[in-house]
Amino acid sequence: MLETKTDYAGTAFTNGYEFARGTGYGLPEYPFVEPPELHASEIRRHPIVIVGGGITGLTLACALARYGVEAVLLDEDNTVGVKGASSRGICYTQKSLEIFHRLGLYQRIAAKGVQWSVGRTFAGDDEVYSFDLHQQSNFNLSTQPPFINIQQFYIEGYLVERIYELGHVDLRWKSRVTAFTQNTDFATLTVETPAGSYQIEAEHVIDASGSHTPFHQWVGATMQTKHGDDRWCIADVRFSTRPPVERHTWIEAPFNENRAVWQHLMADDVWRIDYQMAPDANPDEVSREDVVRERLQRQFGPDVKVEIVWVGPYAYRSRCLDKLRLGRVFFMGDTAKIVSPFGARGGNTGVADADNLAWKLAAVSRGRASPALLDSYNEERLEAAQQNVLVTNRTARFLRPADGMERSFRTAAIGLARQYPFARALVNTGRMAVANSYTRSQVCEKTGGQSVQNVAFRWAAGSGAAEGTVNDLLQWAGGDLLVLVFGEVPPAGLQRLRQLSQHAPLRSVQVLGPDEHAQAREHVRDINARGAGHLQGACHVFGHAWALVRPDGYLAATGESVDGHLVAAVEKTLGLNL
Amino acid sequence: MKTQDRLKTSPNFQDADAFYECLLDAHFGLSREQSELLNARLILILANQLGDTQLLQACLEAAKPVDLN
Repeated sequence: MLETKTDYAGTAFTNGYEFARGTGYGLPEYPFVEPPELHASEIRRHPIVIVGGGITGLTLACALARYGVEAVLLDEDNTVGVKGASSRGICYTQKSLEIFHRLGLYQRIAAKGVQWSVGRTFAGDDEVYSFDLHQQSNFNLSTQPPFINIQQFYIEGYLVERIYELGHVDLRWKSRVTAFTQNTDFATLTVETPAGSYQIEAEHVIDASGSHTPFHQWVGATMQTKHGDDRWCIADVRFSTRPPVERHTWIEAPFNENRAVWQHLMADDVWRIDYQMAPDANPDEVSREDVVRERLQRQFGPDVKVEIVWVGPYAYRSRCLDKLRLGRVFFMGDTAKIVSPFGARGGNTGVADADNLAWKLAAVSRGRASPALLDSYNEERLEAAQQNVLVTNRTARFLRPADGMERSFRTAAIGLARQYPFARALVNTGRMAVANSYTRSQVCEKTGGQSVQNVAFRWAAGSGAAEGTVNDLLQWAGGDLLVLVFGEVPPAGLQRLRQLSQHAPLRSVQVLGPDEHAQAREHVRDINARGAGHLQGACHVFGHAWALVRPDGYLAATGESVDGHLVAAVEKTLGLNL
Repeated sequence: MKTQDRLKTSPNFQDADAFYECLLDAHFGLSREQSELLNARLILILANQLGDTQLLQACLEAAKPVDLN
């Protein structure tokens, strides 16, 4: 349904986008259905209640639905996106795309969105540096591309449709949470709807309601906040020129009074042009249509024909909670942290937050892991949040240096970058988001904590389909742990693997080189259609080894021989010895 | 070896006087602003020669003026 939607609807101003202009997008609307609680006399207790149907909450809902876990999602609106506020996020990382691949919506995203891998940075009229992510080893193993750009609401729309398809999650639109209390066992939420208000209880509440969440106050969350005085103005436009499908950034753009400019393509031939404004700029003024048109003409020439889809000025800040779990409440996406948009570290980390908690909630609710496993969500995703806040704050500081020495160093760095390759490393127009590693997680060993790229391999002979991917194996494991055993295994090791698979929520697969002898019924060949083997590299092991992979595609641990170490690693990964 | 120990505090110059003269000559005739830029460029170039994060941090620490009170 979203495929055919290229008509633009009238603009409504909501949720902090009060200066937004432009024709906006037509967004799908979903029906409000009266929940049974409205007319029930007893309060129902749900195992999982998700608050907020943005990209983070919907990813969590979809992941739970795929594991077959029941949940309720409450969203105060009846649509995806923010009405009239364009697309918010536009750029999705390989890790997010791998997650969406697992959830069954990657094909739609790839068909609608735009792939890119080249970024160029300019100062004045000179290119100071460029990169091609296809050439980088941390991106080039996966079957998903480094990045796809697409308006956020498309992904949200695909998620909603997928959730309706999968069932298990009750999507409740036009349902606003207005009050909250909790004790050690459960939380009680008051929900307001067009048909009246009701109360529900929840064993786990996930707050994915965005930057204006009321939950911080309700649970007494503490946080670190930083406000900048930097002002930006986005113009999402369709126009007669077609810039290259690359990420272009200017640190000092001659056509923007030597301030920064971003240029990026999205679906439907819409370009996002993001202009850095003077620090004291008046948001109403800079987003006026004639002012925006003039700015665009300075950049693209006086004859350019522009259709303004959306304009929105913004100022960014950074915020990071001190703890992502407080009692029964888990914070994720923009309720966990807020970062400036440089490097696509906002929405993508929300998607990863959701994927991290989903398998843990599923494993705990099915009795296959200790409830203590849920605390590892805080350890792992807080580390990621803090890392992303740190990285984006550095970019923000490079782009808006304080007067005096900070500016001198930037001028020095840009000047040197024109002459010498070493200084290009200092030019910071955003460090593109990566799958964050977990270095201090209590449920990962020192050898684990990294994301495993979704690489391809060959199925065992006679199994029909030629190629599979890591995601296919995770799908087959169905929310249990996956151990990949590389190379031939001694008989005692095979025996141990069989026993372990019988008694623990674990599935094992033997991974063989082209000429090695298969010993296990479940085996694959580490060789893809182009004749290369990437599975070992993706798991960061060499030779005879095992790799314990979690349902979120993260490595929990690796080891050499199949012995007590593997058993201990499985227990640790499930939180059984916390 | 501890990082602080790796920070060279005894002379390592091949020719200290010649370097000092070169440094002053490079700034000769420059405005305050031009000198500031030259210094900034020089620091970045020198920092890249060292490269090591902890050593650079030790250098920054060592460069802070001694509190005289």
